[in-house]
Amino acid sequence: MLQSLLSPDFFNAILRATTPILFAALASSVASKSGITNMALEGIMLFSALFGVIFSAMTGNFAAGLLLTMAAGGAIGLLLAFFVLNLKTDEILAAIAINLMATGGTVLLMLAVSGDRGSSTSIANVSAPKVVIPLIDQIPFVGQILSGQNLMTYLSILAVVVMHLFLYKTPLGLKIRAVGENKNAAESVGISSRKIQYIALMISGVLASMGGFFLSGGYMNMFTKDMSAGKGYIALAASAMGGDTPIGGFLVSLLFGAAQALANMMQLTDIPHELIQMVPYLTTLVGLGVYSYAGLKKRQKLAGK
Amino acid sequence: MKRKVLAMLLASAMVLSMTACGGKDNTNADTQTPAAEDSTEAPDADAAEDSTEPAASGSGETYRAALLLNGNLGDKSFYDSANEGLTRLQEELGKDVFDFKVEQMGGTTADEPKWEPTLLDYCDSGEYDVIIMGTWQMADPLAKAADQYPDQKFMFFDEQFMFEENGNPTNIYNILYKQNEVSYLIGAAAAMMTTDETIANIDPATKKIGFLGGMDNAVINDFLKGYEQGAKDIDPEIEVQVSWVGDFVNSTTGKDLALAQYQNGVDVGFNVAGNAGLGQIEAAADMNLYAFGVDSDQASLLPDYAKNIPTSALKNVGNSLYRAIKLDLEGKLAYGTTEVLGFAEGGVEIVKDAHYEEMLPENIRTKLDELEQKIIDGEIVVETAIER
Repeated sequence: MLQSLLSPDFFNAILRATTPILFAALASSVASKSGITNMALEGIMLFSALFGVIFSAMTGNFAAGLLLTMAAGGAIGLLLAFFVLNLKTDEILAAIAINLMATGGTVLLMLAVSGDRGSSTSIANVSAPKVVIPLIDQIPFVGQILSGQNLMTYLSILAVVVMHLFLYKTPLGLKIRAVGENKNAAESVGISSRKIQYIALMISGVLASMGGFFLSGGYMNMFTKDMSAGKGYIALAASAMGGDTPIGGFLVSLLFGAAQALANMMQLTDIPHELIQMVPYLTTLVGLGVYSYAGLKKRQKLAGK
Repeated sequence: MKRKVLAMLLASAMVLSMTACGGKDNTNADTQTPAAEDSTEAPDADAAEDSTEPAASGSGETYRAALLLNGNLGDKSFYDSANEGLTRLQEELGKDVFDFKVEQMGGTTADEPKWEPTLLDYCDSGEYDVIIMGTWQMADPLAKAADQYPDQKFMFFDEQFMFEENGNPTNIYNILYKQNEVSYLIGAAAAMMTTDETIANIDPATKKIGFLGGMDNAVINDFLKGYEQGAKDIDPEIEVQVSWVGDFVNSTTGKDLALAQYQNGVDVGFNVAGNAGLGQIEAAADMNLYAFGVDSDQASLLPDYAKNIPTSALKNVGNSLYRAIKLDLEGKLAYGTTEVLGFAEGGVEIVKDAHYEEMLPENIRTKLDELEQKIIDGEIVVETAIER
């Protein structure tokens, strides 16, 4: 057990489990910063997992498949924005509609494209490649973790940096945060909150779709029915726990990924699996507890107590 | 203007879907109250007109069956197998002796509300000698329908029907499968493989085999019991590593769990986790190791992964329905009871095709045939996790 925990395999498992949650957590943070809770992440990821398979098979190229999937994910984000901003639907209800549509819609679409219902095994998709970084892969132990990950894993970490710079160092990022903070105040200085929220939800959709693409084109190499399996919701929690910031979301996603990987490894021991399956959720609870306790302390300090 | 048109479209779509549901609900409500009186008359139910139990068999009328699937055809597993069995029977007997209809009710949570109304509609129509359905999700609707329509006959497969708790209805024939028997053979095969250095990429030094379960329920545990017993009978030193996904859809977690097993010295695994089990097959492919398939012939379904799937364990739903209806036509089917079908009755099997012969060396195959025969003869009694 201990030996397994100290092997590169374990750290690779952490990064694998973190990647889809991280993309979705970033997606959630940009939407939340603009003042909208994007609960449709789950559905967007599921749709994108299937789109990734279909588009990469159509183009025979993972990059083209990824770009088309990102476009489709962005389109679903815009659809959500249309429902919420133009038709004034409740954002949670619209998201639930998208999530439910994804469950049945992906099976319908898969059936139409391949004749399969359970998994997309008859579609010859192209997965994102693993990246071997020269020289670094020669370093013992660390090299086996830093190098040889799936391209999407590197992209997810790059996305953290990009999203941080975008939200905090660009005018558009400032506008997104301003709208999320106080819509009326932002409008009073001539910012169109609708336009900004449209943009934020589109970016959110694109990011979530990258996580979805990784599920079927890297993590697995096929689409299986309902394969998002709650990762979108876990990401919502990760983002909220990370204070809806990219860096915070990254750290919490990593924590969730580690908890999941640890739980997987612990199943090889004699500990009852019911207890082990609690580990990721227990981690969430403890994390939330620590987070809110720290928040409480901070507020008390500010209040001068 | 545009917005109005769209709003109209959406509204009409919603109204349509609501009436669609509403229609079903109404029939449901209608049938529920007058059903008790109706059922004594049982309008044109063939089953009721004949005084003898086996419905239309004696009178020369067509025996009609309705197969209600809480899912769809094309699953390349249970439902297709059921359809295949009925089709085979129809081809054999002719359409005027045996006819059947398949109703695909859909398998998602969104479809779930219509299962019971559909079942009650079929009961109410009285046109079918027998209504066939399966899986645990249909157990409650069936109990209700069997109570309301005591003259309607039902067949129920792949889940135990609780006769005692539901007032011992005599109009249900319940089919279960001895998954522990077929799993025993898989366990034996895995144990022989993991110590056989002639098979590519096997490390004979580690005597570990893997098992990936979906949810910790009675049926999956029955698989596990047989698997462990089969492995230990070959070599008591074999260690079975068991991991549970926690559901049947999370294929990525399934893959991670299986990878952890393979990295820990497991050479051969067995997936009993629905779609999540596909993760184990992918993990086997990544590691160039092996995983046995379940419920459908996964080697032929997944040609890209066939070289990692020696064979698959099957429940032959089609065979069991074929057998049941034939018995019913002869008036010999024991309604009101549960039958558990194993190798002897053709209820379970492992895929033995050219691929299987290519994957497994002859000594293993001979041993498996021998073990199968011993199970049929009762020389080997496979333990079960299900109280019967």
